[in-house]
Amino acid sequence: MLEARGLSKFYGSVLAVRDITLSLQPGQVLGYLGPNGSGKSTTVKMLTGLLEPSDGQVIFDGQDIHKNLIAYRKRLGYVPEEANLYPYLTGQEYLDMVATLRAMPHTRKDKTISSLLHLFSLWSYRHVTMGSYSKGMRQRILLIAALMDNPDVLILDEPLSGLDVTSVLVIKNLIQALSARGKSVFYCSHILEVVERVCSHLIILRKGQVIAQGTTSEVREHIGKSSLEGVFLHLVEERDVGQMAQDIVSVLSP
Amino acid sequence: MMQSMMQSAKQSLRQRWQVFSETPFGCLLRLFVGRMFHGHADSDAGDLDLGVGVVVILLAMPGLLVSLLMFEKYGSFIRFLRGAGAYDPFTATIPDEYFFLVLSMVVSGAAALWRWDSIFLDRRDFMNLVPLPIGLRSIFLANLSAIFALVALLTLVVNVASMVLYPLAVVGSQPSLSLFIRFAVGHAVVMLLASACSSFAIFAVAGVLMTLLPAAVFRRVSLLVRFALALSLLVLLGTSLAIPEWLKQLSVAGAHRLAILPPISFLGLLQTVWGRGTEPFVAAMTRAAGAVLGAAFVITILAYAVSFRRSFMRIPETPDAGPLPRVPSFFSPVAPLRESVLRTPSQRACYHFVARTLLRSDGHLQVLSGFLALGLVASAATLSSAPNLHSLVGSSSPTAEFLSVPFILAYCVTVGLRFAFEIPSQLPANWIFLFWLDRERHEARPIARRVLLLFSLPWLAPACLVTTLALGGYTVALLHTAILILSTVALVEVFLSKFRKIPFTCPYPSFKSHSGLIVVAYLFGYVFFTYYLPQMESWSLSDPWRIVWFAPLLGMVLGGIHFYRKQMLDMDKELVFEEVSASGFD
Repeated sequence: MLEARGLSKFYGSVLAVRDITLSLQPGQVLGYLGPNGSGKSTTVKMLTGLLEPSDGQVIFDGQDIHKNLIAYRKRLGYVPEEANLYPYLTGQEYLDMVATLRAMPHTRKDKTISSLLHLFSLWSYRHVTMGSYSKGMRQRILLIAALMDNPDVLILDEPLSGLDVTSVLVIKNLIQALSARGKSVFYCSHILEVVERVCSHLIILRKGQVIAQGTTSEVREHIGKSSLEGVFLHLVEERDVGQMAQDIVSVLSP
Repeated sequence: MMQSMMQSAKQSLRQRWQVFSETPFGCLLRLFVGRMFHGHADSDAGDLDLGVGVVVILLAMPGLLVSLLMFEKYGSFIRFLRGAGAYDPFTATIPDEYFFLVLSMVVSGAAALWRWDSIFLDRRDFMNLVPLPIGLRSIFLANLSAIFALVALLTLVVNVASMVLYPLAVVGSQPSLSLFIRFAVGHAVVMLLASACSSFAIFAVAGVLMTLLPAAVFRRVSLLVRFALALSLLVLLGTSLAIPEWLKQLSVAGAHRLAILPPISFLGLLQTVWGRGTEPFVAAMTRAAGAVLGAAFVITILAYAVSFRRSFMRIPETPDAGPLPRVPSFFSPVAPLRESVLRTPSQRACYHFVARTLLRSDGHLQVLSGFLALGLVASAATLSSAPNLHSLVGSSSPTAEFLSVPFILAYCVTVGLRFAFEIPSQLPANWIFLFWLDRERHEARPIARRVLLLFSLPWLAPACLVTTLALGGYTVALLHTAILILSTVALVEVFLSKFRKIPFTCPYPSFKSHSGLIVVAYLFGYVFFTYYLPQMESWSLSDPWRIVWFAPLLGMVLGGIHFYRKQMLDMDKELVFEEVSASGFD
């Protein structure tokens, strides 16, 4: 359904990602992992069409997304890494605006927004401007905005950032429920435990390049580690994290 | 019948607007117009969010007040009492029309300067709008329409009072309706065009800079350019004091020397619209006004289109802007002084926080540079009131005009800093001060005092010493500088008499019933500090022994403040992080 073929991106002369190839099928939840600066956000921006690749293509339903970005985005839900919202709009106003811009029918728009506001526990705050929302509330608004038009593909960049425990559990189950309904989810995160729990497939990125790819169990078996944390440390982290902790303690109390 | 027709037309308009605002384009237009008024920073990041209503009132006020004053000048009964006879409104009003043109251009220009970078779409717009299924062309056109809507609104609001009241004041009592319509329409058309020209000119400068410069350089240069533009607007406003008098003597046709001023061009246009543009000079001025307006309009559109392509489309490839980039610090002559006056660790930490915020935060720098610009223009106006340079420094002692310049600058910078202290910066980050500072140690005032003094005296005192030395000799220079330093210290003490906050860590002070009085007190303070004090100093310097009179005067001020603070309850001196004081800006 959604494919990336040989994606590379240069910022000036700096290479951000090189030759990324991936495929996201209906019902699949693809986890995208990597340390800071490994090129995760650049890949996400190219998959959403926010950034044009220096090389390679993003294909959706057999067509390059840049040939008809609007049609592609109509079927895409996106939660960006940062909840950079308009602080002077209320939650309801923001969602109304997004629904209008997505050209959602009037009746479905109102019904969906009010139902989702209730379900995400934001109903009583719907007329409060978002400048006074907590980080978790802003994140929930972004999730509603991404979900409300029932997209076929969901691209989530750190969607659990700032959420409380209940919301995290809801989202984890929601991703699985959406996947069961045939939705494709591209899940970009640092939280290994959540990725291990919700993702059927996994891609691990390091310095802009894919270093492991497959189902979660395939990757674990291939590396010979029992947990995703072990796999991640083995592939990505060059330093011994236990030793780093010891070094920090010794700096504090020589 | 008429009423029902009106009602149905109103309803139809409302329905059409409802339908339009629910289209994607209408929705974008509403969003962009809203963001231009609400600013584009987080509400807690220090951007003053006044709301549309307050902005509209503030912009309409100058025109309203001046128009009301015109009733006193042109009212037929008052003219009768004065014994003034009939007059030709098209000639007699030229000086006032010049003043209205200047006012209209300055207020519109100032509003455009205030919203300088909010006309451009930013990272937040990109991240919220571009992932949605809407075309970039729609975003571009909606924002361009929002810019036009903003200019139209500014233009209308700034001039609405003068468009209605001024013609009433001037020709309202004349029996001819055609004369009234001719006068009113001419005035309205030209004021609207001048106002639009001023707004477009400011936006054109912003657009050209954004188009030509890389984003990081634009951010660095932006503040300087805004400072220069604000200075130009103040100078233009200053011309309204002298030019109307000259116009009375010269007539428009003889005003070739003044033709460089844009309001003069629009005055020519006004004469043409009134059907009096037969003279070649007036025709030339009309053409000049048309050319300036056309150029500003076209450059704004072109620059906006290019900057949309060049900046907005590249947002995902550029790092987040963040605060203003740090200026590399070379050896600072103030550094040793700073380190010696900052005695406690909390003073050092808070001083550095305050100084860096002042120098790196857009909003705070704008306020500070605005007050500095005001000080520079006021100083220039004071100096220009003297006939020549030699008269500024008399044979026995320098004149009050010359002596008042450092006092004007000191007052404006100190008030600017004091005002900037009230503008919050990233309020959620103030927990660090809440956590570490002892509320009962009364550190707020010493910190604020050091900031006020270190931001004004280290550059003002040497400049004052050097210039006075060159023009007035050693004794005068030393005494003048000493009086400036002591007076500034006293002024700072007065401003901080009730201060008990760490600057930028509290929300905006709320409006109080006596807030108007505080503003009046600041105005009186300005008059005393920049007029009476230099007068006294000038009198004292003619015989240096007279300078001893300053000792009891300053002693009384400082002693009075000390006594006042001693009377205060301890709880009124405690450090606060919320607005609980009797007055926030007092």
